Amino acid sequence: MDSPLQSLPLFMAGPVPIMASVVVTWAIMAVLVCGAILLTRRLTLVPSRTQAAAELLVTTVDGQIRDVTGAAPGPYRAFIGTLFLFILTANWSSLIPGVTPPTATMETPAALAALVFLSIIFFGVRGGGVGGFLRGFAMPNPVMIPLNMLESITRSFSMFVRLFGNVMSGVFVIAIVGSLAALLVPIPLMVLDLLTGAVQAYIFAILSMVFITSAVEKGAPQPKES
Amino acid sequence: MSFDPWTLGFQGVNVLVLVWLLHRFFWKPVAAMIDARQSAAATLLDKAKARRSEAEAALTEVEATRAGLAAERDASLAAARKDAAAVRDTLLAAARAEADALNDSAKSARVRAAETLKAAAREDAKGLALTIAGRLVARLDVDALDAAFLGWLVQGIADLSHSDRSVLLGVDLDVVSATAQDSTAQDRITRAITAVLGTPAKLTFRTDPALIAGHELHSPHFILRNSWAADLARIAGTLADEGVMSDAA
Repeated sequence: MDSPLQSLPLFMAGPVPIMASVVVTWAIMAVLVCGAILLTRRLTLVPSRTQAAAELLVTTVDGQIRDVTGAAPGPYRAFIGTLFLFILTANWSSLIPGVTPPTATMETPAALAALVFLSIIFFGVRGGGVGGFLRGFAMPNPVMIPLNMLESITRSFSMFVRLFGNVMSGVFVIAIVGSLAALLVPIPLMVLDLLTGAVQAYIFAILSMVFITSAVEKGAPQPKES
Repeated sequence: MSFDPWTLGFQGVNVLVLVWLLHRFFWKPVAAMIDARQSAAATLLDKAKARRSEAEAALTEVEATRAGLAAERDASLAAARKDAAAVRDTLLAAARAEADALNDSAKSARVRAAETLKAAAREDAKGLALTIAGRLVARLDVDALDAAFLGWLVQGIADLSHSDRSVLLGVDLDVVSATAQDSTAQDRITRAITAVLGTPAKLTFRTDPALIAGHELHSPHFILRNSWAADLARIAGTLADEGVMSDAA
């Protein structure tokens, strides 16, 4: 058995190694984009069942964003919704035999956490300007600046570790049980892995939204006390 | 344990591309469709609200029209009642007038019938009286009766006023008797009249059995009644004036 912490290149594109997680990610991207195109090909005011399902997904994501931010979900919908869909699909791709979920390798969760880190900066600067965003690190007082800066890194790192650890451990456990027990024994663990994958996708998306909202609110102009 | 920075970069770019693609092909069109449906629903609600307002206005107008119709109906009913009352009063007045006219006509007819009956009774009484008188005369002495009536004739001429008696002078006079007078009787009558007039009279003798008994003197302008028929007629007239004949009828 290969170590789950060990990624081997699937092939080389010149000097660049192409890992299996990247190929699976491309496949997931193709599936999601093709599915999106098929779903939105014939949108009508009177929805079909598939259109209703798509609208239910959009409405749910909007509701979650609105509940967390208290603002209009439009600016965050694409990023947060895509994070959730991609992580969910990636986690559930473990059901396909021979496929290792991209989120079970360190690079993908690290890339997702890095994107969240960058998005916190992006939305924070967009909401309150560079000054406002930087002032957010000095709250409640400038003494907290180093801790706040460290926190902004560690919370993204914690997201990376949480997602990677959960998914990797699930895959690892299933692989161990599958190698030791009969064919049907890992099935309950796979079901549990489905639940864990969905929960982790939801947690990652919600935490991303919470951190972005925190940065936006801290950077926003404070009302003057009369 | 290995960590490939190329893979990290690939995955980051992959996710960013996926974010853009799904924004382009999924989140944006679906959200736009939801917004379009909400807008359509809002438009429909606004239209429904406008229609409801229009319907309420139309209902108010209909209620006002209905109230107007009710008032008009009441006015029409009142006018119809008034007209019917007027027609009824007119018909009642006409019926009352017609009834009064019929009553008057019946009363007049009854009075006329009573008068006719009275006249017929009077005539019957006169006829009966004449019959009785005629039968009585038949049992009396004709000469004595003539003499008595001649005396009453002479007395009647004598009772005339001077002007009335002067009318009898110099004209032809008819002496009408109930029975035919022979020459002797005519001479006696001529002498008696000449005596009372004082001048000779030109007399012509006629007979009229309707007189029953008596002599009458007729001139062109004057009739001196002196007969039982005249007496009976006078008595009948007096009785009629006193209502005796009507009671008898």
